[in-house]
Amino acid sequence: MPESIKDKVAILGVGCTKFGENFDQSFEDLVVDAAYAAFADARIEPERVEAAWLGTFSPYAGHGKASVSLADALRLYGKPISRVENYCATGTDAFRNAAMAVASGMHDVVLVLGAEKLRDRPIRGLSWEGGHPYQHDGLTAPGVFALAANRYFYRFGGGREALAKVAVKNHHNGSLNPKAHFQMEVSEEQVLEAPIVAWPFGLFDCCPTTDGAAAAILCRADMARQFRDDYVLVKGLGLAVTSGRPWYDPTFEYVGFTATQAAAKQAYTMAGVRDPCKEIDLAEVHDCFTWTEISNYEDLGFCRKGEGAHFIAEGRSKLEGDLPVNPSGGLKSFGHPIGASGVRMIYEVVTQLRAEAGPRQVRDAELGLVHNLGGPGAVACVVILGNQ
Amino acid sequence: MSGITGYSVYIPRHRLSREAIAAAWATKAPSGSKAVAHFDEDSLTLGHAAAAPLASGVEALYFASTTAPYWQRSAASLIAACCDLPAEVATADFGGSLRCGATALRAALDTGKRAVVVASDTRQGAPESAEEMLFGDAAAAIAVGPDPGIAELVAAVSRSDDFPDEWRRDTDAYVQSFTSKFSTARGYEANVVAAGRALLEQAGLEPARIARVALVSPDGRAHLGAALALGIPAGRIEDPRLADVGITGAAMPLLLLAQALDRASAGDYILVIGYGDGADAMLFRAVRNGDRRLAPDPHGIPYPSYQIYRKLRDYLRLRVGGAEVSNVLWEREETQNVRLHGTRCPRCGLVQFPIARVCSACRNAEGLVEQPLARRGRVFTFTKDFLYEAPIQPTVMAVVDLDGGGRFLCQMTDVDAGGVEIGMEVELVLRRMRESAASHHYYWKCRRI
Repeated sequence: MPESIKDKVAILGVGCTKFGENFDQSFEDLVVDAAYAAFADARIEPERVEAAWLGTFSPYAGHGKASVSLADALRLYGKPISRVENYCATGTDAFRNAAMAVASGMHDVVLVLGAEKLRDRPIRGLSWEGGHPYQHDGLTAPGVFALAANRYFYRFGGGREALAKVAVKNHHNGSLNPKAHFQMEVSEEQVLEAPIVAWPFGLFDCCPTTDGAAAAILCRADMARQFRDDYVLVKGLGLAVTSGRPWYDPTFEYVGFTATQAAAKQAYTMAGVRDPCKEIDLAEVHDCFTWTEISNYEDLGFCRKGEGAHFIAEGRSKLEGDLPVNPSGGLKSFGHPIGASGVRMIYEVVTQLRAEAGPRQVRDAELGLVHNLGGPGAVACVVILGNQ
Repeated sequence: MSGITGYSVYIPRHRLSREAIAAAWATKAPSGSKAVAHFDEDSLTLGHAAAAPLASGVEALYFASTTAPYWQRSAASLIAACCDLPAEVATADFGGSLRCGATALRAALDTGKRAVVVASDTRQGAPESAEEMLFGDAAAAIAVGPDPGIAELVAAVSRSDDFPDEWRRDTDAYVQSFTSKFSTARGYEANVVAAGRALLEQAGLEPARIARVALVSPDGRAHLGAALALGIPAGRIEDPRLADVGITGAAMPLLLLAQALDRASAGDYILVIGYGDGADAMLFRAVRNGDRRLAPDPHGIPYPSYQIYRKLRDYLRLRVGGAEVSNVLWEREETQNVRLHGTRCPRCGLVQFPIARVCSACRNAEGLVEQPLARRGRVFTFTKDFLYEAPIQPTVMAVVDLDGGGRFLCQMTDVDAGGVEIGMEVELVLRRMRESAASHHYYWKCRRI
């Protein structure tokens, strides 16, 4: 029986930049802003950091490739730094690696930082470096998830109306969040009438292309009280990988993501969560596209497969619902700078557990879940955080 | 005795009406439409589509075109690989003259081997020219060999004549010509009539014995005069398909021959004559009734305007970019990407693509067997993508469950996006994907059956 990480690692502090089209900020600006916000929140000097993990997905213009991007931005030299890349689950996987290093006793205080400067690039959407030169020609990020959404609707019925409810909810939550990329409400009609990007996804079903960075300072749980009383504890971690080319896998049903199901199971077991819908107080999940959030409800065990549309329609994932999902506004509204997103979700859950979320505060938040999903639903990371 | 063992025609699905061309140039239109290669088609892909149904087990594959995509790289060899033929197949590329399709057919018959001869052309007329109105795109393939089940070769003649009536230099994008009565009389008519007469004499046949004539036509009219001069009654002349396909260059003699074979009755004599810098003529006798399956395609998709046609014609040429594919990767993945092989698990029977070392279903890693995949299947799921940069939106991406196993991802082409459904039957077709600085890139797409 493997040892659980539960209660061995504490989050001392978190930091996050404003997400959006940060045209006046460089990659280094984002890194410095997020890191120093986290240092201040954790009440530590930068020198206290013994090791660091950088999460970036897509290097560009000399930034984001290897550990040096973090070392140079912070002038953090002579220490162990690793760059983590694991598709869109990059941020949470960087966090996971840092947490394991602390739990092992190898380091006392470490930094995790995710950053991405997508809007510097001359292209729309995401580029896919290292892809096959022609096997996937025609496939875009929304297209990848649309393949699953269309099969899902074929199996379980429903359609764009269910998706629109996710967009409306997450835009509402984002409108309460001063750091979100979008801070405006949208109506169901607006969502349904928007131009189609990749059927069944219209413009408001897709997360934006965003700049941003987020950071967290972790330390051994048994020394956390030296820094602050209201630290947050890591209760469970899970990471699961399935096929990065599900379109070739004849055994894949294409109605949800087994990677999420497996990662959630790992994390729930470690955290001792038996009934996630009852025990989890809030969740930040990977809503890269509105349908992904619906599938996440099911894959994370909040409801049964095929019932995600009811879960949103009944308002259960709203801020005032019994399991608020994406109180931050989610990727949909907060934005999705790939490598930053997972760490940003951790920032949000920590903020909620410390009851510092202002108008979007979830009542009585004690146990929060973070879920990151990468590639074509192939890499899932689940982190469960809790108050002491 | 060698002869014909099979025939196949591929006419691209898209059409451009001559009225649309005339509207663009504010001129008068001849009637009808021409068949046009879609933006992702060229002479090689048209040729593959025509040859593939006949290619199984052949010893030779000949490709003939005046518009081959490479000056130096054999279209015949690439088509042979796409048809999954072994390295021992004899391939040859014919070009240089408009009669190369007929020349290739004669050459294949001369070898006595089991061969497929495919002729394909996508000739471009200069904007606002008569050729632009006339030229259409098509490919046709004839399978030949000993023990012909369809028609046996009775006689064959060739003529060489260096007469400049129509030509294209290595530097020309468009055909050059002297269009005049003199050109038609001295070039086309003189050669096809002489070749036809020589052939009848060789066979010892009166013209009235000829049941069907597959006579190429430079303009949809001149062939009538030539047939009259040969003494062949008008009712026996194959329609050159000017009205719905166009003047199809190197493909034309084989296209018309396939048409004649399709409608022949056992015992019919069929004459085929190709013209260009001389002539190649062959006389066949049908040994069985034709299948009567080559009905004109009623499903042509009209381009909405001439402007759309121009945009699509130029799209790949004007969008050069992306990485070259190293010949190391090309070679290692050839059986998979070009020959469409996958892997079958001997333990659980799962068939998968791409070629795998470990089974996706049972994780067995022992003795997985490479095998060719079926090129037909059903749509498992799909999307209609407006983000992907393409000349026509949306781009339909489909996950296809292939008959007999294996799941494949590809674009859908020749498609009305509104009609795409899960469960729809599709076939895999070779298409041109993109242009890099040094190469054309071909891969598989699917289209509705």
